[in-house]
Parts: sequence; structure tokens; C-alpha cells
Amino acid sequence: MFINRMLAVASVTLLVGCAGTQQPPNPQDPWEGMNRGTYAFNDAVDRAVFRPIAELYAFVTPRPVRTCIRNVYLNIGEIWSMINSNLQQRHVDAINTTGRFLLNTTMGLGGCIDVASKQGQPRINNDFGVTLGVWGVPQGPYLVLPFLGASTVRDGVGTGVDFVGNQLDTIGAIPNVRLRNSLWGLEVVVRREALLTVSKTVDRTALDPYSFIRDAYLQQRRAQVLGDADAQELPDYEDYADVEVDEKALGIEQEK
Amino acid sequence: MMTAVRTETSTRRLSHARLMGLASAMLVAVAMLLNATAHASPDPKAAPPVFVQEVADQLLAVLKEDPEVRNQNIERINEVVTEYIMPYVDFERTTRLAAGKYWRQASEAQKEELSAAFRNTLIRTYSGALTKVDKGTAMEILPFRGDADAKDVVVRSSVIQASNTEPIRVDYRLRREPEGWRIYDINVENVWLIQNYRNQFAQQINRSGIDGLIVALNERNAQN
Repeated sequence: MFINRMLAVASVTLLVGCAGTQQPPNPQDPWEGMNRGTYAFNDAVDRAVFRPIAELYAFVTPRPVRTCIRNVYLNIGEIWSMINSNLQQRHVDAINTTGRFLLNTTMGLGGCIDVASKQGQPRINNDFGVTLGVWGVPQGPYLVLPFLGASTVRDGVGTGVDFVGNQLDTIGAIPNVRLRNSLWGLEVVVRREALLTVSKTVDRTALDPYSFIRDAYLQQRRAQVLGDADAQELPDYEDYADVEVDEKALGIEQEK
Repeated sequence: MMTAVRTETSTRRLSHARLMGLASAMLVAVAMLLNATAHASPDPKAAPPVFVQEVADQLLAVLKEDPEVRNQNIERINEVVTEYIMPYVDFERTTRLAAGKYWRQASEAQKEELSAAFRNTLIRTYSGALTKVDKGTAMEILPFRGDADAKDVVVRSSVIQASNTEPIRVDYRLRREPEGWRIYDINVENVWLIQNYRNQFAQQINRSGIDGLIVALNERNAQN
């Protein structure tokens, strides 16, 4: 019943999404019409359910407590990050992540305090989507997943594997179903709360939140797959002031 | 007898430590004073990492002193940006690159209006972050691996926003101009600013022209 209604909402927004776009298609986002539909659906659900809950959580919980809880969740996630670093042959990252995990779990009181970051060892986020990218799997078209948001075909597969991986080594491994589900529920709230300032910024500054999020996501994922910050290529913006100067020098008429 | 002796030594050590603390606090104060004069105005002719550090230090010093900024007083933030950021930024270039091939279709007046509107959008983007500045906020420049003789360089840094939070990676892209280095693009957690506005600008210009883009930006800026 509930799912039926969700599907109805999704298909309506999908149609609306299709009607709204007549731009030349973005090569990275050939399914833009459908994606905009899913985006609108996600956004509606977020505003109706997740965001209010996250705001309430932020309102009733003092900041240090929130930071602590978030750090604990992120700390548990380091195990899967470490496994992925190994799968990517980034063994130095894997060692650093292991060191972080051990230090934060002990000195950082179960991950509550991020001691490792303070000592200059920042968290290395990693997941199976990145692993696939490192293995040479192309990212495929941009894809907005229902509820989960920005992704690509490759990262969508990665998310599926991440879910299984987390089943094995973290909260999913807890046999008590009620406790496990409560922890997962809390995790959703905690992760959403961490993004409240981001979504506020997007709301306030993006001309088109959909493409703002898409372009930021694709940039970030590309950087994660490339890894080493110094090896990354810089965006090459063609400077049309230079083009104009060149054209004048060559005596080419400017087309308007 | 033994205990008495031990207590006496520890008291003496304590007062000694306190004295040392006082002396070092004074030293720090003097050093800060010297630093403040040294950072009076960042030198765009210095090496890029030095220049960026100077700009950031100066800005942070102002932000930490100013309660108005923390109260999200947008007028004051605007003033701070104009005085302590804009002189070191080639904002026309930022806007030009974000507009891409459409830039040449714009008239001089449109170019100026677009730069102004975009600037206000960015102030709104970053004012939230500026209000979070507290005593613990600091920026550490990461080792510079670029070629200092190049015309276009990237300075990488790590920004610590507040206690017990992860440091944020912030990179600056600079270009050498006759008057020295100018920042024109910024990267926060692997997202380049210009790159992220290019598609949005193009979409809006395709839909309603450059004037439409200016209107859209200004409308966004007027909303809360």
C-alpha cells in the first residue's frame, strides 16, 4: 500500500522531471529526466521525514555528544575502508586506516574522539565503488538512487557490495535484531544530521540544486578514484579572454 | 619528615612551572604582536604558499576578533570580504571561467553585473563557514609540490574548523599576474568551485540568456 503510493509519487515526479528539460544532454548524465524525477522524490521525502528528524536530533542533543556519536559510527566504518584500500593495492592507506582505527578505538574511547585526526592522520574514506573505479570499471551514467541519492551505475553496484560488506564486519554482524535495527536507524539520523549544513548551503546558493549536487558528486568521486591529490589533473577551463586576444592577433572576426 | 620535604620541593617546582608559564605566555604575546605587524598586508609577490598563508592568517585574525561576523551580520561579512579577501582574488577571472564560452556574448555592463551577483552568491556560500570561526580555527599549508616558476599553481591546505572535527581539505588555485599572485579558484573537499558552477551557468544562460542568469543569481541572493 505504502509502496504503491510511493511509486505513484515517483512516476508523477518522473514525468514532471522529463517535461522540464530541453537542454543539450550532459554526456555524464544521459538519464537526466529520470534522475531529476528521483531527485524530486528524494527531496520531498527528505523534507517531510529525514530532515525534520535530523533537525530535532540536533536540537535536543548537545554538539559534543553528536560529534562523539558520529565519530563512533565513522570509526566502525574504517574497517570496510581498510579492506577496500587493500583491494585497491593502496596498502599505505590501509595501514594508516588500521592505525587510525586502533588509536581511536582505544585512546579515542571507542572512536568517540578522533585522536588520529588531531595527530595529523586524516580519515581516508573508501568504499567499493571507488575500488571498482581503481580496478578500471568505468563509472557509467550518473544515477540518482531512491532514498540514497547521488550515485552512478558503478557506484550503485558498489553501494550494494558495501551493504553486504558492512553486514559482515560491523553493525550488521550484531545478532540481536532489535538492537541492530535501532543502531541502523540512529545511523541514518546521525548521517543526515552531519549533512544539515551542507543541504542548507545548497539551498541557499545553488541555482539548480540538482546539477550542483551532481557536479560536486562526480568531481569528488573522480578525485577519490584517482587517489593521490598531487597526481590529480586540474580542471582545464578554457579562458575565452585568451581566445579573444588570440583571435584579434590572428585577425579572425569574432562571431556573436 | 620525608613527606614534608617532598611537598616543599613540589611546591617549589610548581611555582617554577608557573613562572615559566608566565614567561612563555609573555613571549607568545610578543611574538603575536610581531606577527600581527608582519602580517599587516600579504605580499602577492611572495611564494604562493607564503602568500596564501598570509592572506588566511590576516583573515582569521580579523574574524576571531569580530563578534559581528559570528552573529551572521551579512553587512559586516561583506565588508570583511571586500577588505581582506577581494584584493587577493581575481574575481573577474573566476566569473569569466564559470561563464565559459558565454562570456564573450556578454556586454561590459553585463560582465560587471554578473561578477557582482556571483560574488554575492559566494559570500552567502561561505558566510556560514565564516561564522563558525572560533579560537580553535586554524589553517595549515600542506607541503608545496608545484613548480614555483609556473604561471598557474595550486596551494593545498588543511583547515581545522573546530575541536574534535575532521580537518577539511581546501586548495587554492592561483595565477601569476603582473601585480603578483591572485587566487581565482578554490577547492573544498575535492570540489572545484568554478567547475561546479559551469553547468548551472550554462543551463541558465541557455534558458534565459545572460540577463536571465544575472536575475536568477540576484533572486537567489535576495532569498533567505
